[in-house]
Amino acid sequence: MVDDSRSELSTARLRLAAGRAALGRSLRPSLRGAERLGHLLRRPGLVLSLAILAFVFVAAAAPTLLTSYDPYLTVPADRLAPPGAEHWFGADEIGRDLFARIVHGSSLSVQASSIAVGIAFSAGLVLGVIAGFAGGWTDAAIMRFIDVLLALPSLLLSLAIITAIGFGTIPVAVAVGVGIMPGFARTTRSEVLRVKTLPYVEAARLGGASRARTLLRHILPNSCGPVIVLATLDFGVAIIAVAGLSFLGFGAAPPAAEWGTLIANGRNFLVTAPWLSLIPGLFVMAVVLAANHIARTLEDGRP
Amino acid sequence: MTRYLLSRTAQALLVLLGAYTIAYLILYLLPGDPLAILLNAAGRDIDALSPAEIAEARRFYGLDGTPLERYFELLWNALHGDFGFSASKNAPVAQLILERLPQTLALGGLAVAFSIVEGVGFGYLAASVRSPVLARFLARLPAFGVSLPSFWLGLLLIHLFAFTLGWLPAAGNDGFRSLILPAFTLSLYSAAIYAQLLIRGLEAASREPFIVTAYAKGLTRGEVQFRHAFRNAALPIVTLVGLQIGNTFSGAVLIETVFTRTGVGRLAEEAVLRQDIPVVLAVVTLSAAGFVFINLLVDLLYPILDPRIDHASKG
Amino acid sequence: MKVLRRCFIRMFRRRAASATIVALSALTFVAASREQASGAGSRATTLRIAFNADNPLLTSLDPFQVYWIEHRVVLRNVVESLTDQDPATGKIIPWLAESWETGADGASYLFKLREGVTFSNGEPLDAEAVKTAFDADKAFLATSPGAFGAAFLEGYDHAEVIDPHRIRIVLSKPNAGFLQATSTTTLAILAPESYKRSAKERSLGAIIGTGPFVLASYTPDVGLELVRRKGYGWASHAVDNGGEAYLDRIEVRYVPEASVRNGQFTLGETDILWPRDPFSEADIRVFKGKGAAIASRSLPGPAYNLYPNVAAGRPLADPGLRKALQKSIDRTSYARTVYSDDFPVVQGVLDATTPYFKSEKEKLAYDPEGAARLLEAAGWTLGKDRYRYKNGKRLSLLYVLWTKETAGDLLLQDQLRKVGIELKLSFLVPGEMITALSAGKYDLVALYLTRGDPIALQSVLDPRFAPTGSRAAARNVFPPEIGPAAEKLFDAGLVATRGDDRARAYGELQDLLIDNNLAFPLFERVWQTALTGKVSGFAWTAEGFATLSSVRRTP
Repeated sequence: MVDDSRSELSTARLRLAAGRAALGRSLRPSLRGAERLGHLLRRPGLVLSLAILAFVFVAAAAPTLLTSYDPYLTVPADRLAPPGAEHWFGADEIGRDLFARIVHGSSLSVQASSIAVGIAFSAGLVLGVIAGFAGGWTDAAIMRFIDVLLALPSLLLSLAIITAIGFGTIPVAVAVGVGIMPGFARTTRSEVLRVKTLPYVEAARLGGASRARTLLRHILPNSCGPVIVLATLDFGVAIIAVAGLSFLGFGAAPPAAEWGTLIANGRNFLVTAPWLSLIPGLFVMAVVLAANHIARTLEDGRP
Repeated sequence: MTRYLLSRTAQALLVLLGAYTIAYLILYLLPGDPLAILLNAAGRDIDALSPAEIAEARRFYGLDGTPLERYFELLWNALHGDFGFSASKNAPVAQLILERLPQTLALGGLAVAFSIVEGVGFGYLAASVRSPVLARFLARLPAFGVSLPSFWLGLLLIHLFAFTLGWLPAAGNDGFRSLILPAFTLSLYSAAIYAQLLIRGLEAASREPFIVTAYAKGLTRGEVQFRHAFRNAALPIVTLVGLQIGNTFSGAVLIETVFTRTGVGRLAEEAVLRQDIPVVLAVVTLSAAGFVFINLLVDLLYPILDPRIDHASKG
Repeated sequence: MKVLRRCFIRMFRRRAASATIVALSALTFVAASREQASGAGSRATTLRIAFNADNPLLTSLDPFQVYWIEHRVVLRNVVESLTDQDPATGKIIPWLAESWETGADGASYLFKLREGVTFSNGEPLDAEAVKTAFDADKAFLATSPGAFGAAFLEGYDHAEVIDPHRIRIVLSKPNAGFLQATSTTTLAILAPESYKRSAKERSLGAIIGTGPFVLASYTPDVGLELVRRKGYGWASHAVDNGGEAYLDRIEVRYVPEASVRNGQFTLGETDILWPRDPFSEADIRVFKGKGAAIASRSLPGPAYNLYPNVAAGRPLADPGLRKALQKSIDRTSYARTVYSDDFPVVQGVLDATTPYFKSEKEKLAYDPEGAARLLEAAGWTLGKDRYRYKNGKRLSLLYVLWTKETAGDLLLQDQLRKVGIELKLSFLVPGEMITALSAGKYDLVALYLTRGDPIALQSVLDPRFAPTGSRAAARNVFPPEIGPAAEKLFDAGLVATRGDDRARAYGELQDLLIDNNLAFPLFERVWQTALTGKVSGFAWTAEGFATLSSVRRTP
């Protein structure tokens, strides 16, 4: 374990160092429904986090359920209207409703973050499982490749990818996904290594189960817990990274606007209408906080 | 130990070479025609040039030859400190970076200092309060620090400390005062992680078996905690500080944009907007080099900080 | 546990604190020494100007290459020209040249130079120096034909030194805009020493002129510094203060973040706030609340117009659609919403301060119903999504942007949506823009140029004169049946030596562009500055720059 931690050049190392023991534990068998509800009610933080994420996903899937305003409709008379009954979050410099823009922006932001985590999750899982399961040269080669990716700070790696493939939601998502993929590969690998040596897995292999069967039936299900925790955690990371890149102006084409774009556009009015950038930022923070809180709950193995 | 040092250094150099290669592959092989982009950055239209002129320009920008030849030529030049020419900035890339490096290093350095002071200070505060309610509240506070988008925090601080209170300048890069807000903004994420780690580490250390063993050996309380517990909690922080330093350029991209500082980060951001490929490649390579170097340093420091790690025995 | 904490903290406090103190004191030292350095001149009157970002595409202060208007403001105070342009009338008046005669063929100019003028390095301004300057510009064009100065120097053949104070400039063909060109910063006369340096050195600040200020330093992307020229005394009559400048120093900074720039101004850290885009109503309210004054001037030259791509196969090849588009733009709302209540509404192809400007106000009226009728008649019917369709194809126009979209672009997008036209905004990095323009993969693009003469239209729209970067766009503006007529008007304006002839040619050209809907004016390109109450004597030049020698700043 010590040797392992020395050769790792990674953020995953920190996560592992910080909570290796906790991460190592797989998710505990779930409690029964009624009991679970009771637990939930005693955890208002978790309820709130779930509510925030639910809101965001509803906003992403069916924004019109949450607001009747057209996010692109300009109403010159309402420009820079402060938050109030008419416009809950105020209106921007050309009179567009900010609440509607945040709700409609969810779809792009959630889409981008999900694609990013999806890329990182699937590529990281495949690389990590192959490395951990195959061992030897394959393992060494994959892990050196991961080391190299880790040495490229993810935001700068994203900038390079965007320079090459252009602006837009999908390029941003791909760039962020590639940036956080190494963490998944590492975590998956170390989990596979751990599970591989568990007595019953060894027993299954000795008992003549094929490699594929061992992998699918025993190793994967037992090692995916921490990976799922990491995915939840990285959903928050991806939201911030996507917001950062769209803040820099590399995101979707206007008038569509990701949350980062809303913050960026609002900053010109920091003196005259501070809410235009402060509210979308608070919103991003709430979503990330919610994702992190849920990840921590999963990590601690409690429902 | 020497063998470990050499192998670790060689490994680091290989990683750096790999990072450079990946950046090169992304930048020179993915897009359309780098020549058209470079020419345009110099104010010339590729369609208006004759084939002879195009060949000439191709040579000038080092774009003649196969991608592999080009790769080795660029690498060879980079090893000699020549990162090419930024057509839009009308200057050698190495010079641009050297001019801006001090700004970014000052920002990063102060941010690391801030992070350690804030993180450790907060960790201590959270660990030392007696009220359990307050302790639980404080223990959760760093979670906010981790969830804040840094660029937004920057805007918030500008709004508060520059525009509303008028205590600190909102932007620019002259003097220490203009460094405080951006450095604080950059420091908060790491500070929150240090605080989280310390709170967990201090608690975990007091439960470790070796502490009990150490008592049993008859060492004094102070010695025990000084030697073992603190080192145990501080080790991950050393790693994290290394990572924070390695990530300075990355963090600087957003912070320098928000605070209008002319550093390497903003150079990178502008280069992306202008598709100034040599600049992007150089900044990415430089930051990878910083990352690899700092991590190498941390890895070499580890055995000194933690006697449980002994590389000599492992060869 | 408690002792552990204390111990830990004590140790850490000592180490971390000492490390921090070392780091902090080092930084403070740097800061302090820098403050001292700048403190020496702090008793002198310094004017602090904040501009938007430095030119991201071309790092250059070389007058002949500079198109960036912020740089031209600075240069106007460092380098001077043979003539000046009266900001009130647009007339060309004497400056470094006391008088001139135009040759009968309109292809030569005899300038009599003012005596006693020197460059800031002590070299005299004489006929040789003027010849050196013109020849150096011509030589530069030979290597970089796409340089900004090309249109200004158009036709220049050679210069004949008659005596130390008389010089004849000979053109190979008439150029009616040439006299105005001699009044611009672009054809300013630098000291012969500057031309001995390379173009790159000039770009980075090796600029020696005869102006009331001397360029002391230029740090690209950060700022520059001007200091007063001792013994100056040859301003043109358009300037109030003919002698030495009142200010000792001028500090120019490039601040790309609007919020930061505005905040610094409201905190009193900037004396003149001078961004590229006009202020919004909300900003003006804040500034006025702080006792600031707003100065505005329309920049002469074309207004902020969108130009169509009428190439066959593109939607705007259809004249009916162009007409509907023209009617769909609410220019009054644009000026009021994006800028401010008393912001001028654009009236034609040119900004109102351009000589020979002709108002086309009636033809540019907002008429969404008329637009809808035209579109209906042409078979574009409204779909469920409120966009118009013909043969299952959505009515969609691609507007390519040189910079990030502005509030105005988004407002326009929504105005067109109201009549059922989809406007796609696409910000392109320079490389992509060049490709899009030359491949004709766009429908609308904005082009403009600041110059106090309608000949600027030719530089923008005549493919024979347009700069390489936008030549393809100029080619796409005119349908084949209108191109020859436009070319004839461009030529008539270029060779006309009498004012009336120029007025007729440029009047017809403006009509042609609007009648055929080949230009879509969006707003008057007004340049605004906010001045703190301490600043007085600010005055615009004809081209929308400023003569800072008349500016005073009370401490």
